[in-house]
Amino acid sequence: MEQQNELSFDTLVIGGGIAGSEAAINLANLNYKVILVEKDLSLGGKMIHLSKVFPTLDCAACITTPKVSETIRHPNITIYTYSEVKNIVKVSEKKFTATLVKKPRYVNEDLCTGCQECEDKCPVVVKDQFQYDLVGRKAVYVPFSIANPRVVNIDIENCILCGLCEKVCPVDAIDFTQEDVEIPLTVKSVIIATGFELFDPTQILRYGFGKFKNVVTAMQMERQLVPTRPYNSVLRPKDGKMPDNIAYILCTGSRDETVGNPICSQICCMYSVKQAQLLLGALPMADVSIYCMDIRAFGKGFCEFYQQAVGMGVEFHKGRVAKITEKENGNLILRYEDIEEGKIKEVEHDLVVLSIGVLPNPDAKLLFDSPVIESDEFNYVKQTDELLCPPDTNIKGVFVAGTSSGPMDIPDSILSAGAASACSANYIRN
Amino acid sequence: METKKIKTIDIIKEKRTVSAEAKQNLKEYNKIKKLILKSLESEAKTIPQIAAETELPLDVVTFYLMTLRRYGSIETGEIDDMDEYFSYKLKK
Ligand SMILES: Cc1cc2nc3c(=O)[nH]c(=O)nc-3n(C[C@H](O)[C@H](O)[C@H](O)COP(=O)(O)OP(=O)(O)OC[C@H]3O[C@@H](n4cnc5c(N)ncnc54)[C@H](O)[C@@H]3O)c2cc1C
Ligand code: SF4
Ligand code: SF4
Repeated sequence: MEQQNELSFDTLVIGGGIAGSEAAINLANLNYKVILVEKDLSLGGKMIHLSKVFPTLDCAACITTPKVSETIRHPNITIYTYSEVKNIVKVSEKKFTATLVKKPRYVNEDLCTGCQECEDKCPVVVKDQFQYDLVGRKAVYVPFSIANPRVVNIDIENCILCGLCEKVCPVDAIDFTQEDVEIPLTVKSVIIATGFELFDPTQILRYGFGKFKNVVTAMQMERQLVPTRPYNSVLRPKDGKMPDNIAYILCTGSRDETVGNPICSQICCMYSVKQAQLLLGALPMADVSIYCMDIRAFGKGFCEFYQQAVGMGVEFHKGRVAKITEKENGNLILRYEDIEEGKIKEVEHDLVVLSIGVLPNPDAKLLFDSPVIESDEFNYVKQTDELLCPPDTNIKGVFVAGTSSGPMDIPDSILSAGAASACSANYIRN
Repeated sequence: METKKIKTIDIIKEKRTVSAEAKQNLKEYNKIKKLILKSLESEAKTIPQIAAETELPLDVVTFYLMTLRRYGSIETGEIDDMDEYFSYKLKK
């Protein structure tokens, strides 16, 4: 492991999703020096992988990519992607120490032009995590087309060390000698923007996710709805058939004590209503049905957005799906209780989308050595003054932004990041 | 005289071995790729037609065919009369 000299900044922002980027830009615009540390290969968080956003149906990439570019180009922001921080210690007021660990990509980021000649030649194919396993990628790969930085990474666990990538790279960017690099950090304040995790639907065996290939998650459907989709159209992963009778199951892993997540995820109703409308645009002959306990359309324009879906022909059924079974042709039988009619029903669909919920990211807790960061009863970062100063945590000088503190949509994540950056500036200044 | 440049792959090879799983995965991919490409040599086919001919599971054909399409070996053809299945063909 290589060691480097200490770096010093005003604020450490952990997580480069929409909340982290927003917080970093706000502080940088006030002339604070910010270090933004992102664990993944690109900035953008979950939002960069979305199709369009509710309720305006604006293109998600068209909003995220300029924000990401602004973050990357800002002279007051230093970015480390594919990196993590650990051992954060509050030494005194306005003095935190930490260790930054930069993981090896096995490519010189300054040299790589993202030409993908290496990717073309690489003989290995594994599941592409950025297309949520719907298609394969190579062992050396640009994470996704709008990734920033747009340079390759080598998945060393799956690499067969054939050396072809290094042989064909026109700028000699491949570097298999890279190792973890550890850099000591000193900062005056910290913003936690590590975001959320998605519920793993294999936990609900009754829905058959993983076993029944035509049961997909909403994140997989987001990928099917973007122009850089894994397939040539919206298709069933089992056999490539164009679906024409699609079901959504809301609250998969939310409002469900049996999976340990009793709270509402706040976004699934609306993203499902959004996807239903987009599907009717992409597949004009298709029927879309949504199975739910109720629809929570609480935000500005949300109720109108729901009514727009009803007007387009999306069918809403009140009832929780108990079980899914698969027919030989890949179609799925949904057994549910129709609450309005008080009857148990069985219906057939040719594709099922699970509207998976939002879970806390446990990383936030592991970042701090002393003092430890406190969590709330649902394991999100605890907001110690939720009413008067929502970004405050139990550590003075450490603030929380976006979904690290609980489920929320993009506008609320951005608002929360604005508040966290204002509190951070205030803390440093006073 | 030009000196031969050291390839960094030779350095990592001294420290790392390729896992049996990675080797098996490559073997599997090459086998499936060959079967799918061979099946498409005669004419454009749908995924169920390729699966029936190669005796590969349908979802396996979908995954690898879409991967071969992504990397430029295969292109999309017409959709059938029922608007259900696209056919796929070798890219010339
Ligand atoms: C299927 C789906 C559809 C959606 N559609 C919409 C929509 O239409 N409209 C809308 O408003 N909202 C939508 N959302 C919600 C939206 O995705 C979130 O509101 C938004 O992404 C929250 O941003 P964030 O920055 O808080 O978290 P994230 O997007 O989760 O970003 C967190 C970032 O932190 C990084 N990170 C995590 N741990 C660490 C660590 N230890 N160190 C460093 N970095 C770390 C992650 O890699 C990630 O880049 C949707 C969500 C889903 C799942
Ligand atoms: S490593 Fe080289 S070949 Fe690969 S994308 Fe970068 S510049 Fe191109
Ligand atoms: S060395 Fe690894 S990443 Fe490079 S081409 Fe070979 S298998 Fe792919």
